[in-house]
Amino acid sequence: MTMFIDKLLPSAITMSDERQPLKLEKVGGRNTSWKAPLVNISTILKHRFLVRNLVRREIRGRYRNAMLGYTWTVIEPLLLASVYYFLFVMLAGNPDRMYPIWVLLGVIIWGCFGRSLSGSVSSLSRNAQTIHLVYFPRIIFPTTSMIGNMVISMMSCLVIIPIMIAYELPVTIHLILIPLSVLFSGFLGIGLGMIVAPLNCMQRDVEHLFRFIVRAGFFLSPVMWTYEMALERGMFGEMVLFNPMVVPLTMARHGIVGESIGIPWIGIIGSIGFGIIMWIFGSYVFSKYEAGAVKHL
Amino acid sequence: MSSNAVEIENVTLHFPKQRNALSMLINVFRGKKERFTALRNVSLSVKKGEVLGVIGKNGSGKSTLLRIISGIYPADEGYCEAAGSVSLLAGLGTGFSGHQTGRENAILYGSILGHSESVMVDKIPEIIQFSELEAFIDEPVRTYSSGMKARLGLAVATAIHPDILLIDEVLGVGDPQFKEKSKKRILDLVKSTGTVVLVSHSFGLMKDICDRLVFMHKGKIVDVGDPEEIIKLYYETTGS
Repeated sequence: MTMFIDKLLPSAITMSDERQPLKLEKVGGRNTSWKAPLVNISTILKHRFLVRNLVRREIRGRYRNAMLGYTWTVIEPLLLASVYYFLFVMLAGNPDRMYPIWVLLGVIIWGCFGRSLSGSVSSLSRNAQTIHLVYFPRIIFPTTSMIGNMVISMMSCLVIIPIMIAYELPVTIHLILIPLSVLFSGFLGIGLGMIVAPLNCMQRDVEHLFRFIVRAGFFLSPVMWTYEMALERGMFGEMVLFNPMVVPLTMARHGIVGESIGIPWIGIIGSIGFGIIMWIFGSYVFSKYEAGAVKHL
Repeated sequence: MSSNAVEIENVTLHFPKQRNALSMLINVFRGKKERFTALRNVSLSVKKGEVLGVIGKNGSGKSTLLRIISGIYPADEGYCEAAGSVSLLAGLGTGFSGHQTGRENAILYGSILGHSESVMVDKIPEIIQFSELEAFIDEPVRTYSSGMKARLGLAVATAIHPDILLIDEVLGVGDPQFKEKSKKRILDLVKSTGTVVLVSHSFGLMKDICDRLVFMHKGKIVDVGDPEEIIKLYYETTGS
């Protein structure tokens, strides 16, 4: 397999005179077999340096020319959360003491998922310039977008430090659930995004549709509400577990108060399994169709 | 063991035509595909150590041919083989991110071209020196003039020698002094690389450095051969 990758890469160019005579090898081939997702993993590992540089460009680009710069990663979810808090108070009356934290974490985790999803949907079309200039495995584009958003969401998570002090919350091992839920939600976004990224090269409608889906999903997922609130509603409560985003959102909330996840195992496994299957399928579809799709750019 | 560096066998490449959703649907039902054929049954071998020039009018498929060799587009029919690493010089300075410094962009561009971290760290001093950016290298690229961007692009792109070099109209950036310097740099690169495929409209230069010329017209290769004759053929076919 590694040999196959070597063939595809305009690999690190090193000139040495005592090299084996070069053999003719096929150019522009793509691996579209069922092994493609596996190949993609090793391709990404192999191009670590490139991925790192592209992620840096992505993060730097977002907060360019802003006086507050990276502080926006914290301000943005804080502002959003306060609006939703206000909305909740208007609609449902006096909420729980912890409710502001639930919303804030919800906004951060959902934001990570949403940006990872819409970022990977438009990953090919946004990078048209680079695509026309040079060939490297294009799976790197959605991956970069996902990692960039994970990093930004991790920075947003720093906001929990002052909150923990204000609420006098204990520091427990369960805090690890918060970064894990960021990674998990970002990962859930990329699978679906990769499936439609080639389609988005042909018609940008896909991008607009997914922007809507992210917005609508916000209300259908426990961002403004919680898993526990759904359970209190009785018989249909358990149904929310069909939404894979319930697990990361609940994970983060339980993490901050030092509890374990508190979701039936079947729900957690289902959600992780869904993420992995979507990634494998997405990565397969992406590898199969990107070559044809970039001709539309 | 063949002595060819690049072999292109019967390559055909179609581009889909941009169309609206309605006509797309109609075409799906009719089973018809609307497309534009950029390359039609193109076969070409580039010998090792050869400098091959490609001429032709705008839109004749020259750049597409280079993109086939560099792997950007896989061929729809036929195949293309290359011996060793291929590097395409085109559109210097596009894809720079304006809010990052010249140094960061140089490393980014280098990694996009497939170079490793250690190679780039080694080459940075030389890149800075050649691009004549000096103190500007740590300023954001958005403050650069277009000539400065092109210089940085050329410096990075030519810092590392590939086995096969593809050049798409990158000569003639910057002021006259830099133009001279970049021409020399590319000629050096051409000499030390060995195998070069060059797309250009400056026939004078092509006559000087190319061993053979290829004349493309409407996605087909019309003829390959001695530069003088091919240039004559070009004017006969396209009219002067």
